[in-house]
Amino acid sequence: MKQILISDPTLRDGNHAVAHQLSAEQIAIYAAAANKARVPIVEVGHGNGLGASSLQVGESLVDDITMLTTAKKYLTFSKLGIHVIPGFATIQRDLKKAIELGVDVIRVAAHCTEADITQRHLGFAREKGKEAFGVLMMSHMAAPGLLVEEAQKMVQYGAEAIIIMDSAGALLPPDVTDRIEALVQDLPVPVGFHAHNNLGMATANSVAALQAGAKILDGTARGFGAGAGNAQLEVLVAVLEKMGYSTGIDLYGMLDAADIAEKNIMPSVPVIKSESIVSGLAGVFSGFSKHVARISKEYNVDQRDVYFALGKRKVVAGQEDIIIEVILDIVKNKQP
Amino acid sequence: MEPDLQQNCRASSTGLLASLEPLRGQTILVTGGTGFMGKWMAEAVVFLNLQHNFGITLYLLSRNTEAFRNTVPHLARQPFIRLLEADVRNVRDLPENISYVIHAAATPDRREHATQPLRVIETILKGTISVLDASLRLPLLNKFLYISSNNVYGQTHNNTNGIAENSIGYLDSNSINAAYPEAKRLAETICAVYRNQQKLPVVTVRPFAFTGPYQDLEKPWALNNFMRDAILGGPIRILGNEHTVRSYLYGSDMAFWLLAILSSPKPANTYNLGSPEGISMTHLAEKIAASFHHKIDIVIKSAKDDNTHYSVVIPDLSTLTRDIPVKKAISLDEAIAATLQWYQHHSTIA
Repeated sequence: MKQILISDPTLRDGNHAVAHQLSAEQIAIYAAAANKARVPIVEVGHGNGLGASSLQVGESLVDDITMLTTAKKYLTFSKLGIHVIPGFATIQRDLKKAIELGVDVIRVAAHCTEADITQRHLGFAREKGKEAFGVLMMSHMAAPGLLVEEAQKMVQYGAEAIIIMDSAGALLPPDVTDRIEALVQDLPVPVGFHAHNNLGMATANSVAALQAGAKILDGTARGFGAGAGNAQLEVLVAVLEKMGYSTGIDLYGMLDAADIAEKNIMPSVPVIKSESIVSGLAGVFSGFSKHVARISKEYNVDQRDVYFALGKRKVVAGQEDIIIEVILDIVKNKQP
Repeated sequence: MEPDLQQNCRASSTGLLASLEPLRGQTILVTGGTGFMGKWMAEAVVFLNLQHNFGITLYLLSRNTEAFRNTVPHLARQPFIRLLEADVRNVRDLPENISYVIHAAATPDRREHATQPLRVIETILKGTISVLDASLRLPLLNKFLYISSNNVYGQTHNNTNGIAENSIGYLDSNSINAAYPEAKRLAETICAVYRNQQKLPVVTVRPFAFTGPYQDLEKPWALNNFMRDAILGGPIRILGNEHTVRSYLYGSDMAFWLLAILSSPKPANTYNLGSPEGISMTHLAEKIAASFHHKIDIVIKSAKDDNTHYSVVIPDLSTLTRDIPVKKAISLDEAIAATLQWYQHHSTIA
């Protein structure tokens, strides 16, 4: 039976859905449930990853150290993973500490055309003997050939797997197939896929990735994640079982973990809201949704206009400060 | 116990000392001289001078000589080892008594190739031209050894007998990995032009993979990574196809083979330099794991399910051994043991 490695960022991507307000208690509850379900990797942290808590992208309720220490305590089977964007996370201040706290899997992420910035972080993770994955975010913004080149750089830097993220939930299954096939063809290391559900394609895209040769899939309990959420992990596990793949995850345990997550960590289960559909169509990073909603309301502008304007400007994660600029432009243009 | 590198030099010099006689009293320059190759050349010259009174003067040219002084003070303090601090792209005047040049400057680190491809190209091309020009003005010059790379072969048909010097394969000039091999190829051609037009006594050497003390554990090569994984308690992670075959020559063998090529009367040739004994990644990982007393797992991480097609990159040494009586003195097992011992004393992670 073919093995698929599942990485669960419920406690990281899900933090986007609650403006990074997951508490230590909530982290403990879900970490214990995911561990019991034998989820291979549980990713924990601020939505934008290690060291990202800030006024610009949102301050988290609890600091990185508390989040990681809490999760580690309950992850006796599952590996503890972190999302690391160089710039937010520095090696000396953040990564070194995270490794000391027992992080097992370090997923070093960059915008899909900027793999160059990951060299030192990937190198450091490998030097410390940790599993180091390269992550290319916003992968709808690069053609398959360019993604391959950026991924090749990450492999040269030491990445042991490459995961592409459909951060905006903008891809359709054939787009995913093209990208994953190209990567599998030209890379020596395993390829993975991280879906968002803006266009309702998260599970279908994950299956497309699998059929194109992906060996790693991300999914979250109830799809708890930025914007319209991610691929719903308990559904994904069930679908993979039906397709004859092995994830090592206990299905009942995962179903229980999802119930526990819904009850204890989600103010509401992710649904595909109108603005998420627009965000997916415009190709805007799902992590922008809370900021766009808040500032649009403040300035009384239509969120949908904001997403299309952001899409035209090809904004990427980390450029949250452009949201206000775009909204002010819309306000200015509305004035008689 | 720390490995005795001078003892390694003694083993590697066995059978070659007579052929090295032309180097007696000569002055050798190594550019890129403070890296792995330069340090082993220094060890070899220390052995020849202190044990056999060769009286060689060795100049090591590098951008950062301070690091050399700090990391290998036992070599730096030898009166016959002299450090020249310069950027190889701007070399103009070299000490006039230099009679042999080994132009090795250029990083083989593929992370640099991916991140700084233009700088890599510039260093290789400008550096080679500037050292060639400076060498033209050396009145006593006997030989100019250009250190190229096995990367110039590109993708060759797998041949378990090794890649011969005339079996150049496919190289995708548009690949992000092309900067280094393409620049090395062009640099070989530039050297050939100086040989043809200026009658400079150029010999080209295409090194394969090496191992041994002085190689940093963080370097992105399978053997180093396997050793690092093992030192950290494992698992050893094989990235890509586990059947991939490579070969490894120990540092002291590399240094004495280079000296033998340098002193050979054969002019104008191209030689492979490396171990002809291939080993698969699986067997290499098993060998390293077996060097430890505790159990170390081996994990294979590959993009593809079908790994029946794999690359074999080992040198065919027919041309070299036809001209020069080189013989591998340090086995791979001995090389791994010595390297692991050395890391225990010199690596912060060991």
